[in-house]
Amino acid sequence: MKPEDTATSLHAYLDGELDAAKSRELEAEMAADPALRASYERLRELSAAIREKADYYPAPARRTRMPKPSFGLAIAFALIAAIAFAGGVFTTLLPRSSEDEALVASHVRAALGAHLIDVASSDQHTLKPWLSERLPYSPPVADLSLEGFELLGARLDYVGGQRVAALVYKRRQHVVDVFISPGGTSGAISTRDGFNVQRFARDGMRYSLVSDLNRNELNDMARLLETH
Amino acid sequence: MTDRRRFEQVVLPHVDAAYNLARWLTRNDHDADDVLQDAMLRAYRFFDTLRGAPRPWLLAIVRNACFSWLRTNRPADIESLDERMPEDETPGPEILAARGVDRRRLNEAIAALPVQFREALVLRELEDLSYKDIARIAEIPIGTVMSRLARARRLLAESMRLVSAAPRLRIHK
Repeated sequence: MKPEDTATSLHAYLDGELDAAKSRELEAEMAADPALRASYERLRELSAAIREKADYYPAPARRTRMPKPSFGLAIAFALIAAIAFAGGVFTTLLPRSSEDEALVASHVRAALGAHLIDVASSDQHTLKPWLSERLPYSPPVADLSLEGFELLGARLDYVGGQRVAALVYKRRQHVVDVFISPGGTSGAISTRDGFNVQRFARDGMRYSLVSDLNRNELNDMARLLETH
Repeated sequence: MTDRRRFEQVVLPHVDAAYNLARWLTRNDHDADDVLQDAMLRAYRFFDTLRGAPRPWLLAIVRNACFSWLRTNRPADIESLDERMPEDETPGPEILAARGVDRRRLNEAIAALPVQFREALVLRELEDLSYKDIARIAEIPIGTVMSRLARARRLLAESMRLVSAAPRLRIHK
C-alpha cells in the first residue's frame, strides 16, 4: 500500500470497513512496523475517547410524540389560505390571463400542504411511468439535481378542465411546480400575486414553471429544461 | 395498522438520534428543536418513501433539513463545503494519546469542526453507522466518507493539540 492509502486504511480498519484482504495486508504491515501499530492504537484511543466523552443530546420529551405543526405555522397556513381564497374571489371578478391564474392557484393550493405530491421520488424512472399510466401522454421528467433543483416528486392536477402533470422541484426553500401538457406556447415570464410563471414549449409539450423563486433562477431552470 | 400508528412504532424510536444530529449540526438547542420539528413533519409526510432501515432514512431527512436551515441562517458554516477540501489523506503529524483528554475540550473541538467533518464524525462515532449508511445520509460516495472521517479525526486531534510537533507518521515500505 502507498503511505497515504495506509494512513486512510487505518481509519477504515478501525471502523470495521476494510475488506478481509486489505485487513490482512494492513495487519501484516502493522506486525512489521511498530510505529504503524502505535499509530493505530492511538487512533483507537481517540475514537474511544469520542464515544465515551462526546455529548449525546436526547430529544426533548415533546418531540417523542407525533409531530404536529406549531401554532405559528398553523396561523401562517391559515393566513395563506385566507389570502389565496380572497385572491381567488378577487380574480373571478376580474377576468385576467386565466391560465396563469389557474396555474398559480394550483401551485398555492398544493403548497398549503394538502396535496403537494402524489408520488414522492427523486427518480425520473419512477415518476415517468407513474405519470404515463395516468395521462393520455408521457411527460418528460428531467433530473436537475446536479444543477441544484431537487426533484421531490409529481402530482396530477386539473388546470383549465384538463389533467396535467406537475413535477415538483425544490430550490433551497422554494417549491417549483413544473406543469407539462401537450400543446404549444410562446416563451414568456409573468408575475401573478407574487409568484413567477415562466412558460416555454418543447417537443410538442407546453411547460409552465410556477414558483415564488426569483425570476433569474426560474429562468435558469427553464433553460435547463429546454436543453436537457 | 394506520400510518400514524406505524410511524409511531417505526420512526419515533429514532427521534433521539435525529435530535442528536440536528443539535450537533446547528450547535444550539433552540435551532435544533425547530429543525427537528420541521424534519419530523416532513418524515411523516414522506413516510411512504421509507425503504429499508428507518434510522438512516430519518437521519437523511434531518440532515437535509439541517443543511437547508444552515444555508439560510448560517451560510458561513457551509461555505467551506464549496472550497474543495482535498479529499485524499496524506500522512499528517502523529496523533498522541487521547485517553486523558478533557471532556469539555473534546466537545468544543468537535463543535468547531467544519460541518461536513462534524457530520461524518457524529454519524460514525455517536450513531455507530456504517460507511454505507453515512454515504446515503450525506449523499456522498463511500470513499468520501472514509476520507472525511480520516480528516475529521486528524483535525480533531490537531485542534486539541494531540499531535506531536514535527515527526510525521513514518511508514516503511
